Amino acid sequence: MNKFNVLVIEDEKNICNFISKTLSSQGYQVSCASTGNEALSLASSLCPDILLLDLGLPDMDGMEIIQRFRSWSNRPIIVVSARTLEIDKVRALDAGADDYLTKPFGISELMARIRTSLRHSNPSGFHGNTLPHLYRAKGLEINFFKRTIMIDNQSVHLTPIEYKIVAFLAQNSGKVMTYSAVMNNVWGPYAESDNKILRVNMANIRRKLEKNPAEPTYIFTEVGVGYRMADDEET
Amino acid sequence: MKKEKLKRLLHDVNVTIGLLALTAGLTFILLLHVSNNPATATLFFIIGIITIANCTTGYLSGIIASLCGIIVLYSFFTYLSIDYSMPDYPSTFLCMIVLFAITGLAASHMRQQSLTLSSHEKQLLEAEKEKLRANLLRAISHDLRTPLTSILGASASLEGNWDNYQKDECLELIHNIHDDADWLLNMVENLLSVTHIQTKSSKLNMTLEVLDEVVAEAVTRLKKRMPNAEIDVSVPMEILMIPMDPMLIEQVLINLMENALTHSHGDKPIRLVAENQPDYVQFRIIDYGIGLNKEQLDHIFDGTYSDTAHSDVHKGMGIGLSLCHSIITAHQGSISARNHEEGAEFLFTLPKEGAYE
Repeated sequence: MNKFNVLVIEDEKNICNFISKTLSSQGYQVSCASTGNEALSLASSLCPDILLLDLGLPDMDGMEIIQRFRSWSNRPIIVVSARTLEIDKVRALDAGADDYLTKPFGISELMARIRTSLRHSNPSGFHGNTLPHLYRAKGLEINFFKRTIMIDNQSVHLTPIEYKIVAFLAQNSGKVMTYSAVMNNVWGPYAESDNKILRVNMANIRRKLEKNPAEPTYIFTEVGVGYRMADDEET
Repeated sequence: MKKEKLKRLLHDVNVTIGLLALTAGLTFILLLHVSNNPATATLFFIIGIITIANCTTGYLSGIIASLCGIIVLYSFFTYLSIDYSMPDYPSTFLCMIVLFAITGLAASHMRQQSLTLSSHEKQLLEAEKEKLRANLLRAISHDLRTPLTSILGASASLEGNWDNYQKDECLELIHNIHDDADWLLNMVENLLSVTHIQTKSSKLNMTLEVLDEVVAEAVTRLKKRMPNAEIDVSVPMEILMIPMDPMLIEQVLINLMENALTHSHGDKPIRLVAENQPDYVQFRIIDYGIGLNKEQLDHIFDGTYSDTAHSDVHKGMGIGLSLCHSIITAHQGSISARNHEEGAEFLFTLPKEGAYE
């Protein structure tokens, strides 16, 4: 099998070092760039399968790299950043990043995110080319054709809006979806900017799906950013 | 700066003219229709002048107002041909001028003083904050040295004696490094929360948050760091939206839960209970362990008692709790600690929307 090509854009040498060592040991092909310009030229010559991007680079803002890279490629971008403010995460995600990790992160988490992003980007025959019609995770099963939701083979009743929210998150399982992305998808582009309605709906969904709403197993909150649904279990 | 001055001057002029005109009008009506006693009119003007001096900055408008007042009064008396042909007339007016000037000056002075007082108070508050921050920084920097020493020592030892160590010895050292780094990370998160409070200068980043989400995120974040933690969580069935700074409240929950997990020495899982009360929500973090002793209870939120010689005081625990205290106070809630039969319990409350001012 061909190795996946990962481009790590990170100016901190130690971090770059440990990421690339771990990735190589896991069978990825790794290249590193420490400045924005180097990153952009490497990206266009290597056409990497996935980008790991640190937002704070010496010569340019990481946001610009996201925009420039997005103008010609739809390969996944995972933002790795020490910025903890929610607004930075939301901006990066809305600009086209697929996921983000806040420093410090565990290596197992990074690997899981990379696998998820690669699977969703579906490079040549990972999943076949038909749209998946089933989502399955930890006893939860969503059938997108029949529009049904089952937990441990018990049917769960959701209102149409609630179903739309869950289905949207399930189709993007494993990735953070920002509040505005969910709002736009469910209520359309003219939805109110206030996300209170979404959050109340989500609280209701949790009460129907989760055994204990305070310890969710299916839909996780990224406070101030959005929601992430548990990754689809591969069948 | 210049613009500000001009604006203030304009405001003063407007207030002076407006109030003078009002006083003059009222006095005129009084003299015409009620009584033509000059003493009443004079008293009226004194009230007007005190008000003017109170509403304007500096002494000048008070003095100008009193001069104008005299002229206006004089012309009224002339106009109404009130009998002022008494021999002591000039001295009466002289007295009035002095009286007006003194009241005007006194009022301005009072105002100035209250301004200085309030600015002093602000400075004191600022100093208090500065002191808190300095204390916190000192305590934290002190605490940071221990794990850093251990990390540096362990890694240097690994690098230097690589060939001499057994595999399990290496693993142990690496494990220590990991633990200390993890502790440092927790400390840094707390520090970040502090700066969060400082930069927003006592104004919190309040948003309406769903209670379950914040609790869930706090539990998830803690479990990521302590995978073996056993926490029994319960939240009310109703959907509650509570105004709060979610990042800070999460930090409080994490600190209190971590505290309970590491210090209680209990063998039962800790409990996190959120309860819906009419005006507030109450969070209770209950452990089943050794409980708190008397001295601890008195100073537990001061952040000071970690200096005293308690054997079980974990490094930096006091800071975490005092931070919790400042965060909850900033949310206008309350926080307390107490013992129950089988261990200790920390409680804090957050006011609901509407109850919050």
